[in-house]
This record gives sequence, structure tokens and C-alpha cells, in this order.
Amino acid sequence: MKHILLIALLSISFALQADWQQPELSHNLTVIKDIIPAVDFELHDMDEEKIKLSNYKGKVVLLNFWATWCPPCIREMPSMERLHQQVDAEGFKVIAVNQMEDIDQVFAFTGQLEVDPTFIILFDKTSSVSRDYAVRGLPTTYLIDKEGQIRYRAVGGREFDHPEVIKIIEQLMAE
Amino acid sequence: MKNNFSLYLLVMSMIVLTATESIASEVKVHKNDTTGLLTWTLNDEGFQIELIQLLPDFIRAIYAKHGFPKDEIERAASYCVFGTILKNTSSQQLSYRVADWRYQTSDGQQYPVKTKTQWLEEWRKAGVTFSWTLLPDAGEFSEGDWQQGFTTIKLPRNTEFDMIFKWQLDEIEHTGVLEKISCAPESLPEM
Repeated sequence: MKHILLIALLSISFALQADWQQPELSHNLTVIKDIIPAVDFELHDMDEEKIKLSNYKGKVVLLNFWATWCPPCIREMPSMERLHQQVDAEGFKVIAVNQMEDIDQVFAFTGQLEVDPTFIILFDKTSSVSRDYAVRGLPTTYLIDKEGQIRYRAVGGREFDHPEVIKIIEQLMAE
Repeated sequence: MKNNFSLYLLVMSMIVLTATESIASEVKVHKNDTTGLLTWTLNDEGFQIELIQLLPDFIRAIYAKHGFPKDEIERAASYCVFGTILKNTSSQQLSYRVADWRYQTSDGQQYPVKTKTQWLEEWRKAGVTFSWTLLPDAGEFSEGDWQQGFTTIKLPRNTEFDMIFKWQLDEIEHTGVLEKISCAPESLPEM
């Protein structure tokens, strides 16, 4: 019990330390010059139902790779939820692919957030999907168009509900 | 009791303001008033890197949390580990490879920095599949991109050394140095 408390406190202290150190979140998304198709995958969601990326073909998808212990992932998550709430759900989905954690860990984490995420959370327990997407560090995010092509990328935390990001998403939805 | 007090200091230290001392225009050193733990920041030609001293107990806690075997936890904690935040502050394309970085000891000898790939190969043999704590081996950063992770240096505690970084900005190579940096102590000093 003492050990668990120690770990918890150290995790909190790291989050505080990291939060102090970390750069301000920007809203820049990088245009992918050589457009490539997003690799399809099938993962379980919070209800243990299997979800395929290809289920969302015809919609614009913000695909985010993250973990509960990753401070910038935690920082950008509220902006992902606000984005999800602001942009038309018929044409847009936010999918957050958790790395190597389980439902209990993520459930406990989301319970501590000010706003409970309503976007899709999937579990990449072996990081095989992140490898397919050449994710080197967390968070990394891709913006996928209606045809299932990767069009934009962001390495590191972002403010995803910035008007410039919303404008890009709406442009992709209008294509 | 000693551990609890150290832990209290550590946690408190994270929420108090830290003193900032500017050594040069492109290098800053932050000293935590309570713990004395240091952070070095190099800001040069689109390349911003922060090295944050981390205590061995913090490293132990992180790897224990992710289920590492005891031997591997101790091995990681025996290294001089820095929390590292790397950012592209330019509007150009920045790339780096940890394999190009060196640390230089006071006798002038230079050594390569252990890469994430090297750690993962060793951890795989020990049955560890978790791979997300270390700074990625390489990166291609556009404007606004940044990453964080651990950088590990195989030197005894309290050793002073220089870190030599290389990166490319639109394919032009740059070099920057953080001089006289040091590992975190084994534990926080008793008050």
C-alpha cells in the first residue's frame, strides 16, 4: 500500500513538474505532402466492442495516440473533447487510441477529468497499431480525410479546438 | 520516515516557484529552491531542449508502475536519467538522431548516448514490451512539433559533463552544447 501511494505521489509530482516545464500548446498541424492511406485496424473500445477504423470511411477522423501517464496527452485531451462537441458528429469522429493500458486504468483516469470524454477511446494493448502508424512518441495525432487518407499530422500536444484546426477539419469535411 | 520526508520535499518542490538563472543568451539553468534539482535549457537555431534532473527513486517508481522486473528497474535507476523535452521552435523542418549526440567527460572523452532502440533490445530479452518512456531515437519535427521522454547517461552520480547535440534544420546541420551538467543526486539531502 505504501508503495502504491509512493508511485501515485511520484506520478502526480512528475505531472506537476512536467506541466511546469512543458511548452505552450500550439495549434499547428503539418500537411502531409505525400498522402498515404490510413492503415485499417480493429481494436476494442471502453465497452469491449470491436471497432474498425474503416467503419468511419466517409467521415473525417482525428486519430490520436495517447496514454494516461503522458502529461501532454492529458493536457490536450480537454481540447479534443471540446472539438468533438463543436464539430458535426455526422461528418467527424475523434478516436483516441490508448497505448498499452487497460479499461480499468483509463476508466479511473477519465473519472478524474473535469469533463468525461465522449469521443471514442480504443485500446492498442501491444502498440501494434501505433507501430503501423510509425508513432515514435506520445501524443501523436493524424487527421484522416473522408477517403481514408492521412492528410495532417501533429507530434506533441496541441489545442485541437483552435479555430484554425476546426477550419481545416471543416474544409476536409466539405471535400 | 526519512523516505516520507524526502517525498514530501519532492512533491512540495514541484509546486513552488523555481529560481531562474540565465548563464548565456541561449542556455538557461533552473534551480528548484527546495530540492536543488536542476533543469538545463538550450535554445539554438530552432532546437529547444530541456534536460530535467530526475531522482533514481522517481525512475524506480515509473518502471515499477509499468511492471518491469526488479533487476531492470535497478539497472535503469543506475543511469543518470533526465526528463527531456525537445521542441522545434522554427518554421522549418527539424530532424535529430539521438545516435548523433555525445556526452563529454572532464577528460575530454566523448561517448555516444544510449538510444531507445538499444534499451528496447535489452528489455525485450528481459521480457519487457513497454516502450514509451524514452525519448524517440529520431524525429522529423515540423513547426510546433515537440516530444518528451527520458535521456539516459551512463555516469556516476554527481559527475559533471557536457552534452553535445546535433540536429538538422532544413537539412543544414547544427551543433549545440550544454556545458557542466550533472546527474541528480541519489536522493534529496536531509533538511
